[in-house]
Amino acid sequence: MILTAILALAGGATLAPAPQSITIATDVLYTGAGEARENMLVTITDGKISAIGPGRPAGEDSLHVAAITAGMVDLSSRINSGTTSVEETHEVTPQYRVADSLDFYDQSWARQLRHGVTTVVSSPFDNNCIGGLSVALKTGGEPTIEARQVKADVALRGAFGSQPSSKNHPAFGRPTDFYSRRPTTRMGVEWIWRKAFYDALYAEGNEDRAFDGVEQLVAALNGEVPVFAQAWATQDIRTAVYLKEEMAGEGKPNMRLIIDCGAEAWRELDFLVRTKTSVVLPPFPADGRTGDGAFFAGDAAAKLHEAGVPIALSSHNSMLTGGFLGDQAAYARRGGLSFDAALAAVTITPARMIGIADRVGTIEVGKDGDLALWNGTPFELSSKVVGVVLDGELVIDPR
Amino acid sequence: MMLSALLVAMAATLPGDLEGPQPVDSTGTPVEAKAIAPARATVFKAAKIYVGDGTVIENGSIVVQDGVITQVGAKVETPKGATVVEHDGAISPGLIALHSNEGAGGELLDSTREVMPEAEARHAFAPHHSDYRRARQAGITSLVLAPSSANLIGGQSAVVKTAGGKVVKPSAHLAVSVSSDALNFNRFPTSYAGAMKELNDRFSEPEGAVARAVSGALPVLVDVNDRAEIGRALGFVKKFQLKGALYGSYWAEDLAEPIKESGMAVIATPFDVGDGERQMRSIVALQKVGVRIGFGLDAPARHPHSLRLGAAMCVRAGMPADAARKALTGDAAIIAGIPGRIGRLARGLDADIVLWSGDPVALSSAVEGVYIDGKHVFGGEK
Repeated sequence: MILTAILALAGGATLAPAPQSITIATDVLYTGAGEARENMLVTITDGKISAIGPGRPAGEDSLHVAAITAGMVDLSSRINSGTTSVEETHEVTPQYRVADSLDFYDQSWARQLRHGVTTVVSSPFDNNCIGGLSVALKTGGEPTIEARQVKADVALRGAFGSQPSSKNHPAFGRPTDFYSRRPTTRMGVEWIWRKAFYDALYAEGNEDRAFDGVEQLVAALNGEVPVFAQAWATQDIRTAVYLKEEMAGEGKPNMRLIIDCGAEAWRELDFLVRTKTSVVLPPFPADGRTGDGAFFAGDAAAKLHEAGVPIALSSHNSMLTGGFLGDQAAYARRGGLSFDAALAAVTITPARMIGIADRVGTIEVGKDGDLALWNGTPFELSSKVVGVVLDGELVIDPR
Repeated sequence: MMLSALLVAMAATLPGDLEGPQPVDSTGTPVEAKAIAPARATVFKAAKIYVGDGTVIENGSIVVQDGVITQVGAKVETPKGATVVEHDGAISPGLIALHSNEGAGGELLDSTREVMPEAEARHAFAPHHSDYRRARQAGITSLVLAPSSANLIGGQSAVVKTAGGKVVKPSAHLAVSVSSDALNFNRFPTSYAGAMKELNDRFSEPEGAVARAVSGALPVLVDVNDRAEIGRALGFVKKFQLKGALYGSYWAEDLAEPIKESGMAVIATPFDVGDGERQMRSIVALQKVGVRIGFGLDAPARHPHSLRLGAAMCVRAGMPADAARKALTGDAAIIAGIPGRIGRLARGLDADIVLWSGDPVALSSAVEGVYIDGKHVFGGEK
């Protein structure tokens, strides 16, 4: 031991692992934290961005691309294990973690990574009213939760609308399975949500009324963890907002609400602005109609942004509904969203919504070395992601 | 068994009259002298003796007395009056089937509750069931009856003999399942999230058999299917520092190194002739990095011969034959938790002996005789 120490002193830094460093040249750098800048170099050392400055590629073999953005962030990537990710024996299961159900051998992770999405949120499948805790993850690395988790318990996930009641049926006669005792209508779904929150309110002041999941519900009421709720259609978005306002009236003004799949959020601008609610938009459909029959207008993203509602775009990990997250930004641009707002909607805004903006979402010294490398101007349908850097590792080489 | 061994020992040290009261049977009748006289020994001789620990004795002999092996080697002392069985072929220890429901089909799953650590598979053991006759004929002399993987914690496994009705080890493992088999659409849990939380809760505040598992006294059998489940299982056993084996090998190839690090053994799921290469590759890869391997037997759905079929297929895929034979005997006994009792042909172990026409892991070899606790139970010479 002492000998090693002496050798280390004698040999200088020879025993310390050499820092892993990578430098990439770009014609245009979109940091997401200021103006776009031309002819720049980005250096990442040991997984973190270590230097940003003007420069040109060192040689012909060196890494050089047309544009760089931060690795993209998808809050509704929908990579989970389907129905085995949600505990359906109860309709309110805030205490369960989707992290325990993920399959890191699913090809979807690599597909997202290939298309420049480096951070995603996985949530329980929306068959419960309140399904459990979401987790933020990197899309690559060793296939373990320890290696990939950016932050645990980033949101309390739930759903309004028809999905949580879609399998249920009333208990006429003798029940044959547990689906005979769950809500069968939107009214029922809303009632379950309210009951869960009121149960938590009562339990907060009275330990005798504690139940499994009360801790997570109280954290949501206090705004320590956002409520991330699926609500496609107008009536469901209103329901979520009313619930938030009702809880404010019960002494819980700090509850944070993020609407997922807010296809018709563009119809409810006043409600959303009034309650400081954020919206994650679903992928743009071919025919305008999305889940629960909600109409997703082409200029929805632009309208919400102009009204001041924080928006994030999402891909639902689906090639059928219009492609990957970069393409979603392109569609939003076509609907009138500015470039900067589109960039923010796939990077820093979703990162802020779930409290991981200190790690990802922009290109700044000290942040995670996650980059999307483009062969042209980002969010043009003629451009694509040709390279990806994840935690300082060139996982997709553009050369 | 213990008593008769003791009496034999006394007879050996005190030839002639016995001191003390004369032994009587349950009706009060004096027990005749022959019952306490040393039993006749049997000597088995064969060209090849597979010891069970990977070694082979050429032209060797095994001496058995009172159901126990007393000598093994190229040269042994033949006791007076011993029966000599000259076998033209090979001899191995009786095969051990890990994770089996032989003779207890339908009795190893209580679907009313998902966690029942105190349930014991030994109570489902029906020793005269015809499944055991088929098992004996396939050279299987011991098997691990394991609670079904359709429960999160199914209960405790038992090691039993396929003849003689003995439960060799009543509480061998705690059966745990992190696989999709434990998820049920009509009762808790329906989700991995629910399953893992429940297991974590139970093992964080352990009671009874779970506490014995956490303390290391009771090994676990963890049922797994796909790679994600194997990953979760490894995280789980690491967190609670559990010992034991994973049951489910189909997807284990990619995780051979982490499995090795975990110290867990792997029990191969039963093979079918139609199984893909992946199943075999997986076992070969695990064996190569030094993971202890055993074979499971999903009888009566499959014939007991499928146990040996699995080993033979692995040999075909590149597993050394010695390792395959060990996996069926000596290593299986270690996974079963009683290497001092079964699995090898060595002094002091139970005389569970199989006479083969050739190498046990060659499918062209036939079982020609089986002895359990020294008693002839199939074929061969009495």
